[in-house]
Amino acid sequence: MILLYSEGKSVFTFALPALLIRAWTCRNFSVNNNDAKHFLSRKVKSYVSPTSTYTTETKFKNKKQSYWKSVVGLEIHAQITSTSKLFSQAGTEFGVPVNANVSFFDAAIPGTLPMLNRRCVEAGVLTALALSCRVNPVSFFDRKHYFYSDLPAGYQITQHRVPLAQEGVLEFHVFTPGSHHKPYSKKSCIKQLQLEQDSGKSLHDEEACRSLVDLNRAGIPLMELVFEPDLEDGEEAAALVKELMLILQRLGTCSCKMEEGALRVDANVSVHHEGEPLGVRTEVKNIGSVRAVGHAIQYEIHRQVKVLEAGGVIINETRAWDADSKQTVPMRDKEEKQDYRYMPEPNLPPLRVLLNDQPAVPNTYRDHINVQCLRRKLPELPSETRAKLTNKYGISPESAAILVNENVLLQHFYDIMEEKKSRDPKLSTNILIMELLTILNKKKLSLEASPFPSHTLGEIVDLLQSEKINLVTARKILQEIISGNSMSPSEVVEKYEWTQITNPSEIEKVCTAVIEQNPKLVEQFCSGKTKVFNSLVGKAAKITENRANMATVVQVLTAKLRKIQNP
Amino acid sequence: MLSLSVRQISRKLQDGVIVPSDVCTACLYQAEKLKKLNIFVRLTKEVAEHQAKESDVRYTNGNVRSLLDGIPVAVKDNYCTRNIETTCSSRMLESFKPPYNATVVQKLQDAGAVLLGKCNMDEFAMGSGTVDSIHGPTKNIWQSGEKYTLLRNVGERATSVEQVQGCNSTHGSKMVYQELHHLSSHSNKEGSSSPSEEGDWFIAGGSSGGSAVAVASGAVFAALGSDTGGSTRNPAAYCGVVGLKPSYGLLSRHGLIPLVNSMDVPGILTRTVDDAATLLNILAGHDLLDSTTVQDSFIPLDLSQDIDISRIRIGIPKEYNCPGMSDEVMETWSGVADILERAGAEVVQVSMPHTPSSIACYSVLNQCEVASNMARYDGIEFGLRTAENRSTEELYASTRSQGFNETVRGRILAGNYFLLQRNYPHYFLQALKVRRLIAQDFTHAWSSGIDVLLTPTTLTDAPRYSQFISRDNREQCASQDYCTQPANMAGCPAVTLPIKLSKQGLPLSLQLMGQSYREDVLLAVAKWIETAVDFPRLQLET
Amino acid sequence: MHRLWKHNIFLEKFWFLQQNARSLNSKIPPTPIVKPIEENKLPPRTKIDQKTIDLLERLSLVDFANKKGIERLEDAIRFADQIRVIDTTGVEPMISVLEDRTLYLHDDIVTDGNCRKEVMSNAALTEESYFVAPQGNIPLIPRDSLLTEDENLDQK
Repeated sequence: MILLYSEGKSVFTFALPALLIRAWTCRNFSVNNNDAKHFLSRKVKSYVSPTSTYTTETKFKNKKQSYWKSVVGLEIHAQITSTSKLFSQAGTEFGVPVNANVSFFDAAIPGTLPMLNRRCVEAGVLTALALSCRVNPVSFFDRKHYFYSDLPAGYQITQHRVPLAQEGVLEFHVFTPGSHHKPYSKKSCIKQLQLEQDSGKSLHDEEACRSLVDLNRAGIPLMELVFEPDLEDGEEAAALVKELMLILQRLGTCSCKMEEGALRVDANVSVHHEGEPLGVRTEVKNIGSVRAVGHAIQYEIHRQVKVLEAGGVIINETRAWDADSKQTVPMRDKEEKQDYRYMPEPNLPPLRVLLNDQPAVPNTYRDHINVQCLRRKLPELPSETRAKLTNKYGISPESAAILVNENVLLQHFYDIMEEKKSRDPKLSTNILIMELLTILNKKKLSLEASPFPSHTLGEIVDLLQSEKINLVTARKILQEIISGNSMSPSEVVEKYEWTQITNPSEIEKVCTAVIEQNPKLVEQFCSGKTKVFNSLVGKAAKITENRANMATVVQVLTAKLRKIQNP
Repeated sequence: MLSLSVRQISRKLQDGVIVPSDVCTACLYQAEKLKKLNIFVRLTKEVAEHQAKESDVRYTNGNVRSLLDGIPVAVKDNYCTRNIETTCSSRMLESFKPPYNATVVQKLQDAGAVLLGKCNMDEFAMGSGTVDSIHGPTKNIWQSGEKYTLLRNVGERATSVEQVQGCNSTHGSKMVYQELHHLSSHSNKEGSSSPSEEGDWFIAGGSSGGSAVAVASGAVFAALGSDTGGSTRNPAAYCGVVGLKPSYGLLSRHGLIPLVNSMDVPGILTRTVDDAATLLNILAGHDLLDSTTVQDSFIPLDLSQDIDISRIRIGIPKEYNCPGMSDEVMETWSGVADILERAGAEVVQVSMPHTPSSIACYSVLNQCEVASNMARYDGIEFGLRTAENRSTEELYASTRSQGFNETVRGRILAGNYFLLQRNYPHYFLQALKVRRLIAQDFTHAWSSGIDVLLTPTTLTDAPRYSQFISRDNREQCASQDYCTQPANMAGCPAVTLPIKLSKQGLPLSLQLMGQSYREDVLLAVAKWIETAVDFPRLQLET
Repeated sequence: MHRLWKHNIFLEKFWFLQQNARSLNSKIPPTPIVKPIEENKLPPRTKIDQKTIDLLERLSLVDFANKKGIERLEDAIRFADQIRVIDTTGVEPMISVLEDRTLYLHDDIVTDGNCRKEVMSNAALTEESYFVAPQGNIPLIPRDSLLTEDENLDQK
């Protein structure tokens, strides 16, 4: 399976093979079970994912026959999509010249003061609502003090005591390809959601023993989501991140481009024996992709277990994930505990939001942020879409998940179903998931670059649904179009005479011909080698140039052979 | 001319009797003449002359911007002035040229005022004497050796003139300046740049000492100071000028390099209460760039109507008599209370029981905010930078040790101590609670019908330099700020006005405090008292 | 009326100038009411140990300079201890006098930035368009304990 898509979609590529297998075993076509089982003209390679080199089991035995349990808690920083920064009105675009998007306040020039950006508060509230958090009607800002070259003021403005929102929950599905686990549902509780400033960037120049500081990123708005340590392993964490990204992208509050640093995931990892208290945790940073979330955490769990089993101890430290060597390495020395000396930010009075549709507080002259108003503006969330797909259209949860994961696919699906309500949703889904993606994969094209508009795909669905063509033909049509043929599917079928042969008498003829032309195979079959049936079927397909309705062929051929066996 | 009020000089300009350039020249000359008082860190001669010329044109064309147009003013050296060094009297910012103007500075400029110079102050506004400055201490004009006359008014015109020779008092032994200096908290390893003058002069008060002397001496007609614990009122009291601390949130702090963000206010120093109102009207108002300014629209003050003093209720908080208060100050306090009573005002004693804790509470909040606000001084983006390049920690430590004086360093260390997780609830959080108690003292007074509170501003008249530096900065502030500090805790407006002269010939002043955003009542009462006591104007001999 | 007022003021002034210290206005308390808090009521005087010195110096990146610095800190703590004995049960901390007001929210537009030259105009050391800092995360070099400063001096 060629990995086509950018990192953010990698979970999908793991899921695909598993789903392919499942798809074939589920009754997606209007054929009977027997036929589907026998008809496997495409071989699916069993895919070994890199994660399977690490254990995907959360429990495993050590020599002393006791179980290790691992505990993972995530801290995610998401850059809010806004035009200007959190406390200053400098711009936020990525990739501008060094120190171009820096205002006096961002550089901590003396005498400058913070000014809060309304959009950032709205984004925070929207996200909090989507994650079922309790929004605090009054929240405060605090200063978190530490020295670093990318922090000009010597402190970061964050929300420590009373953040914007607290106590939410994120529900997501965990797929583990290559493992025996069935996909399952998992929840992670959100302790708090807070608004805070991002720091600048230091480029380390090892040779000259110095750091070059770029403050473009200083002051960019972040939402920090602090999750409870209620995950068990890397896969759960990766799945959580994937779901979160879907939600944030739907809301438009974060671009989630991990490669640009718009979404940063830190993981707190610890292990302990079952029944014993939690172990010392380490913090893993520098995770650059969803895939790396899984890898890094799994590695760290493994490392901690190895250390403990060898009699060592785990130090409470920060470790960085090194994607090249695929291991975590110690980062900042945290031997001496940092005391951040949190202090309320005196330059920012309390932040008030209106919870209900109540009138504004007196002494204020600007529109308040109205939470109810924002709640009404919430778009449909991924979980709601998945539920709608399964409930309304009857497609499987796994297929629904794949569609929701890929917005382009989802849009195709909606277009196809909207165009003609009578179309079979399951069939449509399969065309999208299996046929479309496969051919794009082969041609190394992304979904965005796909040459198939929705109505073309819809036409193919119609042709299949009406049994005018079979699946092999459908693939041939796709191949035609992608090679540059600008005709519509129906036109292609017309031109090449690819209509499916469904006429029973015709098929009779074909089957008879097959039996007559392959006496040896027939003999083998009658003597008990049932496997050669497939070859006979294959011959029939060949004769008809793959145009025969294979289900019918199988039916007829089986009957004929039975007659021969039992005259 | 230079002893006139803003109102008076403004009228002369309007009438065409004089032109701004002439006023500017006279002020610059005065400033130069008084160089040994060390009022200014920097005289902005070119800027002033340029602004004055532009004002000339405006007066000729008749499009005068405000009452302040063409009038020389000065600002304390912690206000950011574009491309003009703003040092905060510290090595750390010795060469710092801000790329922008503070909002209040911009407002003065927009009103047509002429910026004469940046005034000396205590380093980073930490101090109550204007002695801890890399530029050297500022001397009080009163009893400084400069010759001046005192003019009194009855009504509007000066009718009686007392010739007073201001001269050094021979009281006390002479102490050599160099010997004295090592007792001060300024520990500059290279040695101080002290003037080699002998004689023991009187301090100007602090931390806005330069601004106060600038106004008192006639070098400017008005000045900006800053007030966190009394830094505008204290020097105003010692220098015999009007010092107004407006309500917190009324004036923008954008561009005012902060000491304690939750208490700092720009302070106004003028010779008359009317002038203070004029300045306030120009400077007050919501500023988008400062989130701690109130959004209510500001109604300009109008003090033209005389107040009916018999309808005013004056509160005398008994806790303001604190140990160390001189008899003279007590008499002054009592005297004004008498005048008010006789004029029909209701004078009552009130209790503000948490006043004695205010100074200790302030010390905690001040030091904690200082520790936080000073964290940005690392030499990377601006300010002093030493040659240390082994690591960021070494660079920061070395820069900060060299850039800050002992007082500043001490406050940073103490502040960080109080902010440590283990200490936070006992000191910082406790201080915030005590702050509420202090603020509640004020609200109780207002709700019992008090319009203004009358208290002393300082404990004595201006101390001598030798006496002042015999105690360290922290101890000095603790006693000096006693009466002025609570108003900052509560955010209330307060004004100090000179009442009379002490036996030493130094000004004695009293303080009025009012309800938040009720500067109208506060200044009206202040104006009444000002008229009643007729404090002599100081006019330097040319 | 105006003349009468002026006359009154003149008399007031005269009266004022003649006042003597012996009779204070009845509302003015003749003696200070404030009493210093007794030492035994305060918590014990804090002694700063070496660990705290190191911690504070590291967190502040400012040094105590000498033993006097430590004493100054101890004095400051002592002075602050006064507030610890005040009963604040049920009192909410007052962070800002503007606590009943609400934070002004700005529109999401770019009106700032794009002023690199000005932003960097005061930086002592820059490289192309970057600020320059030494490498970080190298702990300060430890030095002799200030607590034993006196002993060392004696030995010399």
